[in-house]
Amino acid sequence: MKRAVLLAAAVTTYMVAAWMVAPGFYDGFGPTQPYNWTCPPPQAGANTKPSLGHLDIKVIGGVSDANSAFTNDGQLVIGFLPGAFDATGKTTISVDITPLSTCPQPPGIRFVTNVYQITASAPLAKSANLVLRFSNLEPAPTDVYYASDPGGPWKSIGAQQQAQPFTIVTSTKSFGYFAAGYPSTSPPPGAVTVGGGGQTLPIIVAVLIALVVLAGIPLAILRRRQSHGEVEEEGDV
Amino acid sequence: MSLVLTRTHPGIRALLVGAYVLCVEWARVSIQSQPYMAIPALVMGGAALGLVALGSPADRLGLGKSRPGLRILGGLAIGAVLLLPGAVRSSAVPILPAGLAFAAIAVSIGEELAFRGALYAALDELGGAPLAIAGSTAVWTAAHVLSHPPVFLGAVAAAGLLLALWRWACRDLVAPIIGHVIADLAL
Repeated sequence: MKRAVLLAAAVTTYMVAAWMVAPGFYDGFGPTQPYNWTCPPPQAGANTKPSLGHLDIKVIGGVSDANSAFTNDGQLVIGFLPGAFDATGKTTISVDITPLSTCPQPPGIRFVTNVYQITASAPLAKSANLVLRFSNLEPAPTDVYYASDPGGPWKSIGAQQQAQPFTIVTSTKSFGYFAAGYPSTSPPPGAVTVGGGGQTLPIIVAVLIALVVLAGIPLAILRRRQSHGEVEEEGDV
Repeated sequence: MSLVLTRTHPGIRALLVGAYVLCVEWARVSIQSQPYMAIPALVMGGAALGLVALGSPADRLGLGKSRPGLRILGGLAIGAVLLLPGAVRSSAVPILPAGLAFAAIAVSIGEELAFRGALYAALDELGGAPLAIAGSTAVWTAAHVLSHPPVFLGAVAAAGLLLALWRWACRDLVAPIIGHVIADLAL
């Protein structure tokens, strides 16, 4: 009985501790922060609107400096090598990243991120490295898509090997509109789904506590029986 | 490794096992943050943690074969408990990319074999169940210092305490492994 009480107490302690910090216990390789959606999916809960990004790149001796532009929430990062721009006649180059206020879903493609518009005051002369973060609430994207107009046509510009969990990386030689997704004609990419929300929290918690304790009792009894003949209760808390 | 450790004094053994798992966890987290290294670091880290239990008798680790149904049921219950606060609060259905899922399973099993398996057994031999539960929970919490903001460490410690208490109460490591795998797949 003592073991069952201690187990129930441990379950309760965990529930209280985890309830105070969303998402509770995790092992450190999920997304570090919730995704900021333009059009949040129903399961997203509270949502913060996505951020803008701006960067001024110096041009020294006719060559643009190396630098990275990113949105303030870190959901899109675009990196430029030295001389990435055609900087003829310029002393600085401005880059702006703006999340589109609408959420186009072109035929044949399922976007799982916001659509971002990237503009610059000079055209690209070299490819720029583009990193998009995505949410764990949607299937992982397989491609980054590009369009010169949000109405389309959208085309895949591929994706490189994933550098960090929940990010997708590609390169682009043009500015325009970007989003990550997958072909909607195919099933969502392989993913593991677990869990789900609910409205009857107290009942669920009570059932779970009972389940843990009930599952533990038979094993604890077996353990106690095995302990007879040995030093009784030696080392027990 | 465990075969070598069995010949040493229990105190030294516990110290070595604790230091080893801490070093592996901290190294794993440091490497994991580098580009393209998340999955290799998780898989290799899981394997390195599991090494510490290699050669230990299954019963000593809590991996007995009796009552498998109850052990699995317990694992499902622990997994549900670990997941519930996050699942309810976000009203979300988390999705882990398939590549990362395999890595999550590897590191979950490795962590359980190391913390509630080898380290628990070493501390149990040194000072009995109270030391094993408290010590494995403390080292488990310290191991997550680099990967979690301080505010999360209370939940990490509470999860470690729950898993260690199950290990003690049921002399079972199968359920903590199953519960930990389920939680890591989702969070």
